[in-house]
Amino acid sequence: MTDTVRRAGRGFGRIVAALGLAAAFAVAPQPAKSQELTMWSHWAAEQIKRKFVEDAIERFEKANPGVKIKPTWYEKTALYAALKTALRAGTAPDLIYAEPDQAEYYENGLLLDLADVNWGNVEPWAKQAWAYKGKAYGLPLEAWTVEIYYNKKLMADLGVTVPASLQFSAEQFLDVVKKAKAKGITPLAIGVGDRPFPGAHLTHEALVKKLGVGDYDKLLKGKLPWTDPRVVDTLKYVRSLVDAGALPNTFTSLKLGEAHTYFHTNPGALMFLNGSWYTSRAFNEPDKGGQPKDFPLGIMKFPAMAGGACNECKTLAAGGSYVVNAATKHPKQAVAFLNSMATPEVGNIWLQNVLVQTGIKSDASKITGPHAGYFKNLEAVNTGTTYYFGIPIQVLSGKPKEVFTQVFNNAFPAGTISVEDAIKQMSAAY
Amino acid sequence: MLNLRSLVRAGTILVLCVYTAFAAGPFVWAATLSLRTTSEIALDHFALPGILHWEKFPAAWYGSNYHVYFGNSLFVVLTAVAVVTVAGAMAAHCFARYRFRLNRVVYFAIFSTIIFPPQITILALYQILVQYGLYNSLVGLALVYVAIQLPLTVYILESFFARIPSDLFDAARMDGYSEWEIFWRVSLPIAFPAIATTVILNTILLWNEFLYAVVLITDDNNRTLPLGIQRFMGDQLEDVGMIATGLMIAIVPVILVYAFFSEKLIQGMTAGAVK
Amino acid sequence: MQPPSPPHHPGERQPWGAITAFLLPALLLYAGFTCYPVLRTWWNSFHKVLPRRPDEFLGLANYEALLLQDDIFWRAVKNTLTWASISPLVEVSLGLLLALALYAKIPGARLFRIAWFTPVLMSYVVVGILWVWIYNFDWGAANAILRAVGLKSLAHAWLGDPKVALPSLVFITSWMWTGFNMVVLLAALHSLPSEVLEAAELDNCGWGRKLVFVIVPLVKPTILNLIVLSFIGKMKIFDLVWITTKGGPLWATETVSTYLYKRAFEWTSFDLGYPSTIATVWFVIVLGSVLLLSWAFRQRQKLEY
Repeated sequence: MTDTVRRAGRGFGRIVAALGLAAAFAVAPQPAKSQELTMWSHWAAEQIKRKFVEDAIERFEKANPGVKIKPTWYEKTALYAALKTALRAGTAPDLIYAEPDQAEYYENGLLLDLADVNWGNVEPWAKQAWAYKGKAYGLPLEAWTVEIYYNKKLMADLGVTVPASLQFSAEQFLDVVKKAKAKGITPLAIGVGDRPFPGAHLTHEALVKKLGVGDYDKLLKGKLPWTDPRVVDTLKYVRSLVDAGALPNTFTSLKLGEAHTYFHTNPGALMFLNGSWYTSRAFNEPDKGGQPKDFPLGIMKFPAMAGGACNECKTLAAGGSYVVNAATKHPKQAVAFLNSMATPEVGNIWLQNVLVQTGIKSDASKITGPHAGYFKNLEAVNTGTTYYFGIPIQVLSGKPKEVFTQVFNNAFPAGTISVEDAIKQMSAAY
Repeated sequence: MLNLRSLVRAGTILVLCVYTAFAAGPFVWAATLSLRTTSEIALDHFALPGILHWEKFPAAWYGSNYHVYFGNSLFVVLTAVAVVTVAGAMAAHCFARYRFRLNRVVYFAIFSTIIFPPQITILALYQILVQYGLYNSLVGLALVYVAIQLPLTVYILESFFARIPSDLFDAARMDGYSEWEIFWRVSLPIAFPAIATTVILNTILLWNEFLYAVVLITDDNNRTLPLGIQRFMGDQLEDVGMIATGLMIAIVPVILVYAFFSEKLIQGMTAGAVK
Repeated sequence: MQPPSPPHHPGERQPWGAITAFLLPALLLYAGFTCYPVLRTWWNSFHKVLPRRPDEFLGLANYEALLLQDDIFWRAVKNTLTWASISPLVEVSLGLLLALALYAKIPGARLFRIAWFTPVLMSYVVVGILWVWIYNFDWGAANAILRAVGLKSLAHAWLGDPKVALPSLVFITSWMWTGFNMVVLLAALHSLPSEVLEAAELDNCGWGRKLVFVIVPLVKPTILNLIVLSFIGKMKIFDLVWITTKGGPLWATETVSTYLYKRAFEWTSFDLGYPSTIATVWFVIVLGSVLLLSWAFRQRQKLEY
């Protein structure tokens, strides 16, 4: 039935279309129809980033009369689910929010090759995050590092001073955790209720410091065994943090947004291990999930590992990016819109307002305004740093990715799997 | 002896009361949450509502798009139930009334899909709806719903139609009724109770359906209620109070249907299992 | 669940036009939305199915990978089968006890019946959200009750601990479906000829004996149907898991449905072929076990009569 209905429907549709066309020509020549590009984006609840994009759209529409961009804002999980089906169905919008771990998009030819983007205005490593077979597929607006935020007042109350280097040793850090726990304060607010990565920060930041960028990369790619003694040592250390009660009791069900409020408002935690996009939620108004006014926010480096090959190493990841649907009917306009954002001026607007690093070349010294101080602090923990590009789930794919997520995002930091079992799971995954 | 007996009886009633609190407790709790604000809830999760915040219902209804989700659910469910009732009744009438070769084979082929796990069709249905241009559309979802409820509907109605004495039909035929009129003016009116049962049963099952909806609908404006509720498990602050209000909006219609048609509903749900 | 015997209308001719007309809508729907998708899934399972390119024939490669190498799949199978075998026993036996209590004309029976039936009216989405709250470590009712009665040490992150996550979910489905089973069994009890029960009463056998030797055998067909129904329901379970745990932690609550959904829509690939293989294999397992169950029940009945 459906087939005949469809055919009948199509026939009917054709007649209507033909009649419509005839009528249109009979009445008057139509003015050039305005082009509307659709866009689906994450950041429904992250008002600052959303405002940045909305402003960019407004500027673009003003500069290009006749072109309209219609954004739809989603929560990330909902967006990804919608895209997975819509891209395959060919009903995806022209412009799409994506992150570099979604290799399946470009591997399957679903994204437009962005050869015409002004790559000169984009950091080379950020372009690299979206590179595949000599082409690049995404404009990385957002870049982020993994940071430890802390509550200065609580830290002082504990009688702990953060060293001038902004980096504790592994032993000192464990001690801080124990001290906080003894006082009934949750040492580290992290929750994995709705994200596949926050719990894993603990492990991968420790590993990259212990192994150094080269060996860490080998480990993730299956070229260094997970049974390597340095890996075992590091996991044992992370496990000791977990056993000392570093994480909230609600760790497994706590959602990302809730983890933020857990840290700065209720019940309040000493530290918060999070991407540097902390600001995009925390600098909202307090009743929209933001931190309290005058919150004594501090930033420090992830602790140095004992015998670490590279204690100045950390992860820098390209985050929220915009890509173009390969099936778009307006490729030129879509790329033009991306280019309107890929300028140093817009990069600076991003830094100034969003207060997260960006893949666009920009100049942090030009930041003014109420949060200039915050950004100085962020720069302070990132001076002299060697970066590893990408968090593990952006580097891994298929089964290793699934196993890594289950083990290191969830079970291992929750304390429900031993170091030996974690290593066994990972070794079997490749 | 008598004393012991009443003691046992009292004990039984006590156990049953505890079980009742356990069975109905979550619903009652959700109802209290739906009338309290999230900040009130954060102070004490199990307090009774002091001030009844009825304004949360219009707030959820308009502010959180529930009027759209509700309308979509209503459209999909009513369409699907109407179609499945007519198509199912026609088929059931045919299976019950006419003796033809393959009657039982065809009947069993349709009936046996009751035990099919949805996994076996869902991915292909997704591909097929995309091809027909029915993906992400309420009509497409309604058609899929018709297909998944068809076997149960045919099964319940067929067993009812089969019990209608055939003299009735012979008499109708004598009166010059056509085959269609026999179905329309004899079978259907007599089968009204059974049809009502399937309508209520299908309405409730489809009102609560989630798996097909989550795969076949992406557009926010086309979401049905279960999808809409899930959306509110967002990643910002979990607004417990507002979600609870949303839950009640989704439950209340079903509870109303149950309150008015509980006997019919139970007949329907038990029809397959009793005997 | 047994199809009724063929109808008997002697001396009727076959009005093929009417038969076709009556069957056509249902058959078209059946063909288009059930048969064709099943065949297409089966066909997909031998291919790599990616968007915007022709399907690539893989032969049995998908089956080989699934059956021999995919330990997550087998875990999901184990979890689902565990669920599907425990749930029916719990739900049906508790349901029977409750039904007997109401059958014994307890005061307030009507009220009890309505209260017990309500959980089944709520969708799994609603139930899932409610129970995520009930299982919340800090303020959920489960831990609140444990703490109130002095069993603080038993408080758990119920859905976060791989050891208790699956039992916690099974508990939810039992909560949901026991009332339904009770109502069905009560209807079955009421339809029993009262003489039989009265006779047992006269024989003065105790409740326990009466239950085992008189009541259970009489409502046995209903019980068996309920077991099969509950079994099938758990073999397809998706919504509840998706809302509460998404199969975690450590695949402790992964069911075949959630794994299939993940492989189709969340895995880093767009391939629909492999998930179709999961669907096909699972279809065979479900069909096989339902047939096996029915066969086993029939054998037992034969032995007893």
